Amino acid sequence: MPMYGDLGNKLVQHAKRTQNLAHLPPYQTELVRGVTREVRDLDKDVASLLEPFQGSFDPSADQATACTLLVNHLSMRRNKRCLLAYHRTRTDKLAELVWSGSDVLDLAGHQAGGANGAPAADAGASSSLSPQEEDYFRQYGDLLAAYKGQWTDIDLTGSLEPPRDLFIDVRVLKDAGEIQTEYGAINLTKNSQFYVRQGDVERLIAQGYLQKLG
Amino acid sequence: MDIDDILREVDPTFHSIPREKRDLQELTRAWIAERSAPELLPWPANGLFERINSNIKHQIEKVEEMTGDTDPKTNFALIVIQTELERYRYLVRSYLRARIAKIDRHTLHYLSTDDLRSRLSEMELAYATRHQALLHNHYLSSFLSSFPANLQNLNDAAAGISMIETPDLESAVFIRLLKDTFVEVRGVDADGAVNVKESDIAILRWSDAKPLVEAGSAELI
Repeated sequence: MPMYGDLGNKLVQHAKRTQNLAHLPPYQTELVRGVTREVRDLDKDVASLLEPFQGSFDPSADQATACTLLVNHLSMRRNKRCLLAYHRTRTDKLAELVWSGSDVLDLAGHQAGGANGAPAADAGASSSLSPQEEDYFRQYGDLLAAYKGQWTDIDLTGSLEPPRDLFIDVRVLKDAGEIQTEYGAINLTKNSQFYVRQGDVERLIAQGYLQKLG
Repeated sequence: MDIDDILREVDPTFHSIPREKRDLQELTRAWIAERSAPELLPWPANGLFERINSNIKHQIEKVEEMTGDTDPKTNFALIVIQTELERYRYLVRSYLRARIAKIDRHTLHYLSTDDLRSRLSEMELAYATRHQALLHNHYLSSFLSSFPANLQNLNDAAAGISMIETPDLESAVFIRLLKDTFVEVRGVDADGAVNVKESDIAILRWSDAKPLVEAGSAELI
C-alpha cells in the first residue's frame, strides 16, 4: 500500500538525479499532480477531523486525534518541501541553460532528437519541459537580457576562465557560416582551422560550433 | 572606513598612484573578497563601477580608432590594449557573476530586510525582485495555487524552522592582516585569542573575520 510521502520521495529522487544530468529529464506531471492531490486530501482529512470540535479542540483531552492531526500536518509540509525542491532544481537547471545561451526551441528539439534519434517535427509535444517551465525559461531569458543590457561592454555571459591569450587556435566542428571580425570576414566551414581573436568566437565555442585547441 | 583610507595607511605612495590604477586595485580587491566571502558583500557605493565602465568604453573606442592603422607599432600597442581590455572585462564579469550566483541562491534572504537590500546595486535589486517574482509565479502555476491557502506561503517559520535559507556565516575564510591586531576566534572545543601581525595570514570563521574586514584591519584573500 502506498504511504504518505512515497510520491514526494519519488520527486526528490528525480530532483537528485537531475542534478547530475547534462540535460533536463521529462517533467513528472503525474507525480506532481499526485503529490498535490495528497496535500489536498490531507487538508480535507484535517478539516473533517476538526469539524466535530467546532474550533474548541483540546489536544491533551484527545491525544489520538491530536497525533493524527500532527502527522497529517507534517506530511503536508513535507510534500510541499518536496515539490519546491523538485521545481527549484529544475528552474536552476533552466537558468543555467539560459546563461549558456540556449533558446527554448533548440532545447525542445535537442531533447527530442536525443530520445528517439530523429529531429522533432513538433517541438511542443515532445518537450521535456512543462508549459509553465517553458514560460519561466522565456521570461528568465528576458530578465537576463535586460540585466545584461546594462553591461553591454562586459558580455556578462562570456567565459569565466581568466583570459590568457588574445588569439587562440580553433577547429570548426559544425558549419557556422561567415563571421565578421575586425580583421575581415572568416568563413567557418567544417573541419577547417583558424587563428582568431578569442573574444570574437567565444559565443560559437559555447554553442559547440568551434573547439578551442591547445 | 573606506578602502581609500586603508590604502593610504598601508601605502605611503598612495597619492602618487593614478586614479585608474587605484580603481583597478579596488576592483581586484572587491573581486577577490566577493569570491571568498560566503555572503554577499556591499556594492561599492563610491562610483567605482561608473568609472570602470567609462574607462572600458574609452579603451574600446581607442581600439576602434587604432584598428584601421597598419603601422606595426600601432599594431603592437593595439594588442597590448586589447589584452588589458579582455582582462579588465573578465574581472568585472567574474565579480558580477559571483554576486548574481549568491543573490540567486538566497534571494528571499537578501530581499528580507532593508539592511540586506542595501548591499545590492540598483540593478541587482531589480533583477532579484523580478527573478523571485518569476519563481513564485512558476511555483503558483505549477502546484502551489491548488494548495490550501494556509500552506501557500514561501516564508513560513513554522516549528522554529524558517523556509528562507541563509548563507552559512560560520564557514572558513582566509584573511591577510593589514595591521597588528588582537584576533578573537571561536573554535569547536574552545575559544581563543591571538596577536596577529601585519601581513600575517589567518584562517577563521567568516563571522569572526567580518568585523576585522569591515574595520579595515584585514582583507579577504
